[in-house]
Amino acid sequence: MSTTAPLTPRDETPETRKPPTGEPVFSVDGLWKVFGSKAHRVPADPELAALPAAELRARTGCTAAVRDVSFDVRKGEVFVVMGLSGSGKSTLVRCLTRLIEPTAGTIAIDGEDVRAMDRGRLRELRRHRAAMVFQHFGLLPHRTVLDNVAYGLEIQGLGKAARRERAAEVVAKVGLEGMEHRRPGQLSGGQRQRVGLARALAVDPEVLLFDEPFSALDPLIRRDMQEEVVRLHREEGRTMVFITHDLSEALKLGDRIALMRDGRVVQLGTPEEIVGSPADDYVREFVRDVPREQVMTVRTAMRPASADESGSGPALPPGATVSEAIEAVARTGSPARVVEDGRCLGVVDHERLLGVVAGTEQPKGVV
Amino acid sequence: MATVTATAPRPAAPGLLGRPAVRKLAALAVVAAILVPLAHARWSSGSWPAALTVDVSGPLTDTSTWIIDNRDSHPLFLYFFGHISNAVVLAVRGVYLVLLAAGWAGVTAAAALVAWRVAGWRLAAGTGAAFLACGFLGMWVPTTQTLALMVVAVLASVVVGALLGLAAGLSDRADKVLRPVLDTMQVLPAFAYLLPVVLVFGIGVPAAVLATVVYAAPPMARLTALGLRGADKEVLEAVESLGATARQRLLTARIPLARKELLLGLNQTIMMALSMAVIASVIGAGGLGDRVYQALASVDVGAALAAGIPIVLLAVVLDRVTGAAGEALGEEPHPHGRRLWLVALAGAVAVAVAGRLVGRLDWPDAWVLNIAEPVNRAVDWMTAHLYSGVPVVGGTADWAGRFTTWVLDPVRDGLQGLPWWAVLLIVAALAWLIGTWRTALTAVLAMAAIGVLGVWKPSLDTLSQVLAAVAVTLVIGFATGVAAARSDRVERLLRPVLDVFQTMPQFVYLIPVVALFGVGRAPAVAAAVVYALPAVVRITTQGLRQVDPAALESARSLGATPAQQLRQVQLPLARRALLLAVNQGVVLVLAVVIIGGLVGGGALGYDVVFGLAQGDLATGLVAGAAIVCLGLMLDRVTQPTERRARKGA
Amino acid sequence: MRPRIRTTAAVAVASSLALLTGCGAADMTKQASPFANAEGARTVTLSVQSWVGAQANVAVAQYLLEHELGYRVDTVQIDEVPAWDALSQGRVDALLEDWGHPDEEKRYVDDKKTIVNAGDLGVTGHIGWYVPTYFAKAHPDVTDWKNLNKYADQLRTPESGGKGQLMDGSPSYVTNDKALVKNLDLDYQVVFAGSEAAQITQIKQFAKEKKPFLTYWYEPQWLFEKVPMTEVKLPAYKEGCDADPEKVACAYPHTPLQKYLNADFAKSGGDAAALLKNFTWTTEDQNEVSLLIAQQKLSPEEAAKKWVDRHESDWKKWLP
Repeated sequence: MSTTAPLTPRDETPETRKPPTGEPVFSVDGLWKVFGSKAHRVPADPELAALPAAELRARTGCTAAVRDVSFDVRKGEVFVVMGLSGSGKSTLVRCLTRLIEPTAGTIAIDGEDVRAMDRGRLRELRRHRAAMVFQHFGLLPHRTVLDNVAYGLEIQGLGKAARRERAAEVVAKVGLEGMEHRRPGQLSGGQRQRVGLARALAVDPEVLLFDEPFSALDPLIRRDMQEEVVRLHREEGRTMVFITHDLSEALKLGDRIALMRDGRVVQLGTPEEIVGSPADDYVREFVRDVPREQVMTVRTAMRPASADESGSGPALPPGATVSEAIEAVARTGSPARVVEDGRCLGVVDHERLLGVVAGTEQPKGVV
Repeated sequence: MATVTATAPRPAAPGLLGRPAVRKLAALAVVAAILVPLAHARWSSGSWPAALTVDVSGPLTDTSTWIIDNRDSHPLFLYFFGHISNAVVLAVRGVYLVLLAAGWAGVTAAAALVAWRVAGWRLAAGTGAAFLACGFLGMWVPTTQTLALMVVAVLASVVVGALLGLAAGLSDRADKVLRPVLDTMQVLPAFAYLLPVVLVFGIGVPAAVLATVVYAAPPMARLTALGLRGADKEVLEAVESLGATARQRLLTARIPLARKELLLGLNQTIMMALSMAVIASVIGAGGLGDRVYQALASVDVGAALAAGIPIVLLAVVLDRVTGAAGEALGEEPHPHGRRLWLVALAGAVAVAVAGRLVGRLDWPDAWVLNIAEPVNRAVDWMTAHLYSGVPVVGGTADWAGRFTTWVLDPVRDGLQGLPWWAVLLIVAALAWLIGTWRTALTAVLAMAAIGVLGVWKPSLDTLSQVLAAVAVTLVIGFATGVAAARSDRVERLLRPVLDVFQTMPQFVYLIPVVALFGVGRAPAVAAAVVYALPAVVRITTQGLRQVDPAALESARSLGATPAQQLRQVQLPLARRALLLAVNQGVVLVLAVVIIGGLVGGGALGYDVVFGLAQGDLATGLVAGAAIVCLGLMLDRVTQPTERRARKGA
Repeated sequence: MRPRIRTTAAVAVASSLALLTGCGAADMTKQASPFANAEGARTVTLSVQSWVGAQANVAVAQYLLEHELGYRVDTVQIDEVPAWDALSQGRVDALLEDWGHPDEEKRYVDDKKTIVNAGDLGVTGHIGWYVPTYFAKAHPDVTDWKNLNKYADQLRTPESGGKGQLMDGSPSYVTNDKALVKNLDLDYQVVFAGSEAAQITQIKQFAKEKKPFLTYWYEPQWLFEKVPMTEVKLPAYKEGCDADPEKVACAYPHTPLQKYLNADFAKSGGDAAALLKNFTWTTEDQNEVSLLIAQQKLSPEEAAKKWVDRHESDWKKWLP
């Protein structure tokens, strides 16, 4: 199956990344997860479906963790689901492989209906197509690092020698050489999560699912691990669904971000869209302290170039961040050009850049 | 009257009624106000009304006679119980023959080498010494008999317990059915198990083994279920997310994750099997327990001790070795583990073969050390000098007399003088205050069942002994526990004593107690106190020591005196442990108060002993059922809700 | 997965049932002790009752079986009534001292024929109520039951409440005492010591302090040598006066104690069975051994050896 996964690295760097526009890998439509008895009544009844959480619980005793969520995860992208605790994001990611059985809605992977799968087909999905990395690692304490990494392959029925060989490769890839024979109890948190990552990678899945994988780690180690993920993504281009409650992590990793609140997706867009044009006050409040110049790109900040401007000044790609533009503008003292394929799309000058930093600039709608 | 607690708590009225305890009591008072006059008018007060008892002795006697008459002819016995019995006899005999064939040297070497691999050199040396001590005390053959019985009983218990535990751990429905049963079995005195198996299998090894299995399997089942249910949810989720089948999940994750609990279960099963194997000498188990029983019959404390010491040694060794196995789990496995096991195996076989070649299979008579005589002389001296007429303090017999007159008699007369409905109400109130209305209902029903069985008076007699013993146990236990929690030295001194005392066979306590206090209820109470104390001390000490050090530190930083720290910080924070200590104390005390029937404790224990001794199973079974009910009631009345809730989570 | 588990389970259940029943019927009443006849040794399993007299019988029988006939002897502590059951099942081979159990005798000896009577032990047993001789000497009229109520006050203990104490021993012993107290209208409370051991300890303590006491006791008993006791006369025993246990109002009978053997063992037990059938001795013999055990604290084996050394002519007759 591994042939279906795009293993060729993309040519983008994080600085220039842009949302891939491939086929959707996961396609989620109208997904509900309601806990409680007679849960299925809630999505079906428009009146109940519209109730706020507290009232719903009072009326039916049910809790709706995921409410009418729809999105597509495109091939090769890092799709981040972000929200505070209790927003339903962890439930959502578990619904994708039916670790939690959804109440209503549809989920498709590569066009195949996940909810219609029988046990065998579902197992096949979990074994080969989607692997998950967990917040608290979920490692087997009685096995060595190597055997933990090889566990998924063991379950698939791969022979001992073959799975150990493959596991050793992956262990090396995540930088754990020399620790193959330790046990999880003897590793640091960051190392344990590398094992968790390696375990997921070992089965060579089409999609990697991350459930707040780094929130149990120290800040410095967390940054290392984030960079590790960025590196892996760059090298392998694997589709990733990444759950986090950390906005900066979401902005750093995500090609697109779905921001959840009380089980609903309140905004879905690129980091730039989320920061640049919050959908409502909740999102605005959320992104208030984000250093906008590091998220917004010059594509958003630019204005049309006048005739004389289009020939001179430093050139920047449209994906460059505003902070990069500020550096260029400050160095040269003149407005910078936004150039794509040799064509000048527009310019950014002091005024536009300051507007972005100050948050007064209302960006034009992009995409 | 069973409906006393059926009313659910009502919505709180404002003010005083806002407190749950007051609310519960108020609800109970309302129910009582309605039902008590009715009950009084219908059946009058005083002791349990005869109109409400059911005489089951007739049918029970018939059943017992029928079984004895048909044991050799009815298909149920020929094709079912007979085979079970046969299998037990064959298995025990097989193990016994292997042990005999290995000879004392072979068995000792094998035990020591296993201990070496599992727990290291020091325990191996201890194990070897313990087995040799069994020989020196002239107890080699009984020791092997007990071992043979234990091996079979433990294996069967582990298999049965693990299967039940698997069911309860994997299926919620099985858990719902099994948990209350297992919880209840945990609190029942061993004596209650003996009669039903004797009824079916008659006196002898099969009955003893089966009683042992019934007694020892529940901890294994409980801990297996606990381990399976307690497994890290995320690990299981991770395993599932990788597409594991149910069987893969069980074999590669759930069971390995529960290894600690499984080993703890094995440990507890072994300990309980040992204690039951000793008690089962009353129904013909043979072995060491039988030697204790025989020695007690002739007031031979020395001989009882000679058989009791091997039991204690076995208990300590088994406990330490299985405990060490549990601790070794987290560690890196030894690189040459398998080879060293082979070395151990080869060593054991070599010693056994050598012993055979030399012709020294039986323990040589010349090596037997007779401790009975000096011990008995010491006991005689004690009896002669401490019993009575000691200046100022009086003798132990005088204490016992005073304890009986001033404590036991008033409590018993008080309980028996209470109207029957008042007893039920008190039980309901206590159980409801500490638990839920469900616990209260169980407790009241259990108490009522005692009345219905027609053993109200003897049960209250037993209850009075339990209450007195628990009171003494708690006073001494808490005081000692506090001392041990405050001073490391005291704890270090106490620990080995507690370890030994907790594994001593209950029988051995009885005779010195009789020597000191004469016969009657006082010695039964004394034996119960001595038996229950270690657990109470241990739980109290642990509870106090586990109090959050930060809370204690902050109290100290505010300048609290040690007494203030204890009263205001440690005791309140250790509340749960203290409640558990009470619960355990009650359960253990009940077990020995029952056995106290052998030394004049009378009441229910006497009925059981009588039933066994006279083959009057009707009396014994009714008493056994009453003991079960009493145990259930006492457990529910002392079991805080939190504990149940936590277990349920 | 599920069907497979179910199949596995079904197969397991079926095969274990087959294993259990495959060998046909299993009569649990014909199963010997697992510890018997190990390693080719010929084994005899003797039941021991909790009183010392019974231990004395067994000790001497065991000594002779082991040292004269080369058997291995296992002893199991069982009270009389259960011993009948065990005897019938073959879990023990012999019961050497039975104080009379007509119901069991009818069931096992006459109906089932699994047990056979092996003749008199040679000792005559008698149960009665006793007061210490020092007390009887001081108050000679206490030895008549009619005067007992006069002494109820002196015989009170904490255990007996407001009444006089009549001390009983082990619950396994033959006793009508509760009915007697009731039917003779005595101001006494029966207090069970719980075991003979406890009762003896208690009697010795009373004797040491020269306190009065009233106890259920029996002959032959070695304790009489240490604590002389005098029997209290109860209404005379007549044949059948103890037929209804609720209405008994007469003394206990004098019982010639009996030996019983498992029927199979009696038939095929060879020399051991023959020796046990021949085994008869006197009350004095039994007391001699009992005293050695209970008073001098010798082990039963040593006590038996002493008796055997002294009475060679007696036991030579028993050998087959």
